[in-house]
Parts: sequence; structure tokens; C-alpha cells
Amino acid sequence: MSAEPVAAPTSNWRRYFGWNTDHKVIGVQYMVTTFLFFLLGGLLAVLIRTELARPGQDLVDGTQFNRLFTNHGSLMIFLWIIPVLAGFGNYLIPLMIGAKDMAFPRLNALSYWLIPPAGILMIVSFFVGAADTGWTAYVPLSISAPDGQTLWALSIVLLGVSSILGGINFIATVVTMRAEGLTFGRLPLFVWGMLATALLMVVATPVLSAGLVLVAMDRIAGTLFFSVGVGGDPILWQNLFWFYSHPAVYIMVLPAMGIVSEILPVFARKPIFGYKAIAASSMAIAILGMLVWAHHMFASGMDPRLRIPYMITSMIIAVPTGVKIFSWLGTIWDGKLRFTTPMLFALGFISMFLIGGITGIFLASIPVDLHVTDTYFVVAHLHFVLFGGSVSAVYAGLYYWFPKITGRMYDERLGKAHFWMNFIGTNLAYLPMFLVGLLGMPRRVADYAPEFTSLNFLASIGAFILAISTVPFLYNAIVSWATGPKAEANPWRARTLEWQTTSPPPAHNFPVPPHVTGGPYDYGEQAPSTSLAPAPAAGK
Amino acid sequence: MTAEPRPASSPRRSGYLLIYGILAALTAAEIWIATLSLAAAVRTPVFLTLSFFKASLVAAFFMHLKSDSRYYLLIFLLPVAVVVVFGLVMLIR
Amino acid sequence: MTQDAATHSGTFAAGRALGLDHLKLGTWLFLASEVMFFGGLIAAFLHYKVNSPSPQAGLLSVPLVGANTFVLLTSSFTVVQGLAAIRRGKRGGLMAYLALTILLGAAFLAGQAYEFSSLYREGVTLQSSVFGSSFFTLTGFHGMHVFTGLVWASSTLLRAARGHYSAEDHGGVEVFGLYWHFVDIVWIVLFTIIYLV
Repeated sequence: MSAEPVAAPTSNWRRYFGWNTDHKVIGVQYMVTTFLFFLLGGLLAVLIRTELARPGQDLVDGTQFNRLFTNHGSLMIFLWIIPVLAGFGNYLIPLMIGAKDMAFPRLNALSYWLIPPAGILMIVSFFVGAADTGWTAYVPLSISAPDGQTLWALSIVLLGVSSILGGINFIATVVTMRAEGLTFGRLPLFVWGMLATALLMVVATPVLSAGLVLVAMDRIAGTLFFSVGVGGDPILWQNLFWFYSHPAVYIMVLPAMGIVSEILPVFARKPIFGYKAIAASSMAIAILGMLVWAHHMFASGMDPRLRIPYMITSMIIAVPTGVKIFSWLGTIWDGKLRFTTPMLFALGFISMFLIGGITGIFLASIPVDLHVTDTYFVVAHLHFVLFGGSVSAVYAGLYYWFPKITGRMYDERLGKAHFWMNFIGTNLAYLPMFLVGLLGMPRRVADYAPEFTSLNFLASIGAFILAISTVPFLYNAIVSWATGPKAEANPWRARTLEWQTTSPPPAHNFPVPPHVTGGPYDYGEQAPSTSLAPAPAAGK
Repeated sequence: MTAEPRPASSPRRSGYLLIYGILAALTAAEIWIATLSLAAAVRTPVFLTLSFFKASLVAAFFMHLKSDSRYYLLIFLLPVAVVVVFGLVMLIR
Repeated sequence: MTQDAATHSGTFAAGRALGLDHLKLGTWLFLASEVMFFGGLIAAFLHYKVNSPSPQAGLLSVPLVGANTFVLLTSSFTVVQGLAAIRRGKRGGLMAYLALTILLGAAFLAGQAYEFSSLYREGVTLQSSVFGSSFFTLTGFHGMHVFTGLVWASSTLLRAARGHYSAEDHGGVEVFGLYWHFVDIVWIVLFTIIYLV
């Protein structure tokens, strides 16, 4: 594959519609494509919340409702949050380490191009009898589910391959292509987060693929893996599924935490507090995260001897997570804070992820879990960490790196309006769900007892606010990209390498390979330098 | 793509032949032991040990893990360890 | 194999400083993911072997498959000999050993096909029992990996014929070798847990 002609990357929009090995193009392809699936998944959520605003089945019947939440979850997890964070990794890693591209540019393009066919398969599945078994597709129900379930499985296999190849690329790139002077001790925390994430992508994803193979074999080839009565074991699917899907939640959050770690020091004009602790905690979360999967199975009749070990390991994960939260607080403490849109979203991440994370510890406790599992308490927990958490961080990152990617500045007032609508909408949508879950409302139901009505109504209002909040964001993104004021190389006066080159960066990122002589968060400690000289003799 | 220079400690051709010979002998031993009617409590550790040696020989000498960077070994061993843990848990259930 | 980085010798300097080649690193990472994939299938097989044992497992034939194991082991030997040959610049040697590897790999697949069809004739199918399901799925995926390896070997052989490799530049051969040996190691594990233990 020969190099593309060296045009200003975002001026030729046609580049984004074809095969291109430039990681910056691929990163944008990821972000835009996945955002479309975010909107589709959001549409399904609006339909769900419209149905649930009142008791009774107003909009859809039970089966259609099952299809709605199944595909809402599947789209959001597999076609939005996991790949969009990979897209951030793609765009930023080479820039942040001073490299000219990823280690395997063609593999990188392949990773992206697996996503549109996977998405099409998922959408086609809606028309041949959509999967209606939850994103968790428990057997044996999913074995006898309509044809769309097979397409669903195939779609996820493709996305899994994309993820694994991406993970391989991230690790190889960070290990072998760091610029001179960029030791692991000077690696930006977003890159540390992506390294930990890539480890999980490579190690955990193939186990889901194996499980999906068994499901596909049962559906298509008549195998007996999950046929109860002839020796099949439905719990095996749960183990294979959760062995991936628990680390998957860290795949969904570690890059997001990395984004927060990048943004806070810049807008507090202070070095990050606890750099080593945050880097180490990312790796610790990744490794521990591979040992806790059965906490999703406490109520499945698992061997009682295994319950307590899983409870303990699940609670231990709170420790490195807490280390991060305190380090972030230490970073902004006494800082010279600038409440730009990215900073607002980053702070929103901290507050909302905290709520989600703490309720996760409640769920790790077996006695609590046995009461609230499969209730709206879990739905609230997961949306606080994934929406209040990860999606906030994605928005933070989109605003923060918008000038770098597009070469133009977004509108700050629209950004703030988006933030407040998002923050209010998120809390209004999901806080009532904790209460209604504790009161006994099960999840995945199209109808509910009348006493849950007012809390559900509130949640639905919150959801509608969230839906509307995407409008200022989309308007801002599109109009600013087309006609916004031109951005300088380093509008935020940040110190990581991506800001030391033009906005947008040229074809191979840096005119001369950078030589790094200091850390990425040394704000206020010495006179800032925005030029990184190629020769070793250059000072800070 | 530039190749790594051949490390001084990697086996020469006669070394590979020796490793192959050992692998063949171990395999023959396994097939022979399979014909004996041993109790499962004996068979299982014996076969696991023999196959562990075979796999290690292939990995160490044919895949050059012994002579290459330790990091490759780590990358290979970590998932093996994870799989062993997962497999053991699957046996319990 | 990859031309993209050929002109930027400093590009992978950080890796070289750690004693790592990016192509080999990527290959080992890929093999790590394959370990996990086969690990999932193996865990499923063992789960059923222990918890839902089937009399059909008694129909397996150790001698036949033992011979097949020899064949695959020998093919690993020929691969590493081929690599040793090109390291000394002997293109002919590489091609000969690759050709041998392809023959041996094909023989292995033929042996598997024979094993599968004789089991099939005795009533062991994907649908006859969980043993049948897990046996054919696990060994079937291994066979697919062998087949992919044969295609890759053929492509490598063709490139060798065109003078693509030399004593200084044969990374592609090394990467293929790593894949092939890995498939051999998976077979060593499968032979043990399916036929021996």
C-alpha cells in the first residue's frame, strides 16, 4: 500500500470514505461511524423509555420490547463504546508517542473496515427476526431465538476480530515506536490506559469468540453444547460470555479514565497527582479484571465454594479505582481551574463514575446482589459507569481534541449547553432507577406495577433530555468542522506531544522525529517549552 | 523488514535434529503408555508431564523462545496461565 | 513483508532497544490471542469430558492419530530447517523444506479426514452426543488452522521462488514458522487431552 499524497488531512473529505492507512484518517472513521451507531442505539433507548414512561404496553408488545433492549445494549457496547475508544487510541497513540503511524498501518485499516459490515449485519438482523435475548444472549433461549440471533453472533465475531487486531497494533506500537527519550515513565496516562485496555482486548476477546462459535454451532449445525437433558450445559455459555464481558467493561472504561487523566492537568495547570499510581492502577485493574467474571453469575446456581473468592476479588478492584479517583482529586486540588467544556465533562465523569463505581461494590457483595440482581438497580449502576462515566469521557475527548483533529475550534457556549443538558439528563434518567430497583422492579420488562410509575416517568424525562442534548453537540461538531475559527497548534497550552505539531497534524505527524526530554504533565514547574528539538542537546 | 541476527545461543541444524529426535521419542513413549492399562490417577499426570515437555521443546527451540527476548516468553505464558486458571474453574462446575 | 516502515530505520528504534522486532512482537501477540481462543474451546471440551462423559469417546484410535502426531511434529522440524536454510542464504533449501512441510501438513489433514470419516461411520457426529459436538468442533478448528497454514506455506514458497527472502531479510519466513509451530503445539495439547488422558 503506497503512501497517500500529502494533502492537508481534513480538507479532502473523500479520504474518509475509502481504504486509508493513515491512523488519523482511521481514527476519524472510527469516531464518526461509531457515533452513528450511538445515535441508533439511543433511538432504541428513547423507544424503550417511551414505553416505560407509563405502565401498560402502549408502544410495543413484549417480544418487540425484548428486541429493543437486546439491540440497544448490543449496539451501545459492541458498535459504540468499545470501538469509539479504539478510535481515540488509533488517532492519539502515534501522536502521543512521537511516532509517524501505528506499527501495522494496513492491519489498522482492516480493523476499522470490519466495523461497517458488522454494523450492517446487526441492522439486517432486525429484519429477519431480531435477537431478543438480551445482549447477554443466555442459552438455551438464544439457541431457539429467531434468525437474527445468528447474524448478531456473526456481527460480534467480526467486531471481536477488529478489537483483537487493534489491541495487537496498540501494544506493538507503544512498545516499539516511542520517540527518543519517551521512556515508559514519561508515557501519557491515556497511552497507559490504552496499553491496559489492549491487553484485555487481546486476551479476553477470543474467549467470547469461542463461546459464540459454540452458540453458532448449536444454532446452525445442530450440536448439543447447550442442550439440557443430553449433557449440554447452559452455564458454560455464561462462563465463556462473562469471561470476556467483565474485562470488556474495563475495555470500556480504562481509555475513558485515560482521557480524564489527560484533561485535568491541562485545565488545572498542575502536574497530575500520582502519575505512577494511576499508571500502575490501570494495569492492576486490567489484570484483576480477568479474575472476577463470575460475579455476574452469583444467582445462577454456581458452586457455593466459588462465590466468596469472586466477591473478594471483585471488591479488591475498588482499590486501584479509588487510587485514580483520589489522584484526580489531588490533581485539581488548589489548581488554577478553567471550566472549559472538556473540563466540565471530565469533572462530570468523576462524579458520575463515582456513583456507578460505588454501587458496583454494593453489587459485589453477594447478599446484596442476590436481592438486586436483574433489577433496575443494576441498570442504574451500569448506566452511571458507562453513560455518566465513559460517554462523558468520550465527549470530553471529542471537545478536547476537536481542534487538533479538525484544525478548527468548536463553539464553547454550545459545548457548555450540551454539558449541562447531558449532566442533568443523566442524573434524572438514572438516579430514579436505583430507587425503583431497590423497590423491586425487575429489568428487561415492558410493563411494571403501578407503584413504580412516578420514578419511571422521571427517568423517561431524563432520557428525553439526553436525546435532545445530542442536538447542540451535533450542530456544534458539524458547523464548527466546516466553518469554525481556525485552531492553533496548541490552543490549550498542553504538553503532550500531539499538541507540539500542527492542527491538524501533517501526513507523518512530525516534521522531524521528536526528542523528548521531560514528562507530559510538568505544568508550572518550569518554563513551558512548545518545541521539542530533534537533537539531544536541547533543554526543556 | 530486517531480520534479527542469529543469536549465538540458538541451535544449529544438528541441534534441531536432536530436539526432533527427543520429540519423536516422547511421542512414541506416549503411544506405548496409552496401550498399558494404567489408572487414571497415574495416566493423567504422566501424559500431562510428557506433553508439557514436548510443547516446551517446540516453543523453546523451534520457536526460539529460549534464545530470543524474554518478553516474547511472557507474552506467550500469560495467556497460557490464564487459560489454565479458566480451564480449572470450568472443571469444577 | 511490510514495506511501510522500510525507509524509516529509526521508526522502531525503541523496540530494538528492548531487543524486540515489531513484526515478531505482533506475531506473538496474535499467538497469545489464539491461545485464548483455543483455550476457550479446550475448556469447553474438558468441561464436557469431565461432567458429561460419553461412551462414544471409547471409539477414538490412539495408534492412527499417534502416527498423525508424528507427521505434524516432523513438519515442525522441516519448517525450522527451512528457516535455518534461509538464514544461511540457501533459497533452494528453504523451498525444499517448505515443500516438504506442505506435503506433511496435507498428509496430516488427510489423516484427520480419515479419522473423522471412520468415526462418522461408527455413529459419532456433531449431533450424536456432546462428545461428538465438542470433539469435532475442537479438532475441526485445529484442522482449519492447519489448512490456513498450508495456504500460508504455499504463499511463502511462492515468494521464496521469486527471490523474496535472503539471509538478511526473511522475517516473513520466521512469522510463518511461529504460526506453524504454534499449530503444532496446539495439536500436542489436543492429542493429550482428547486421546491420551
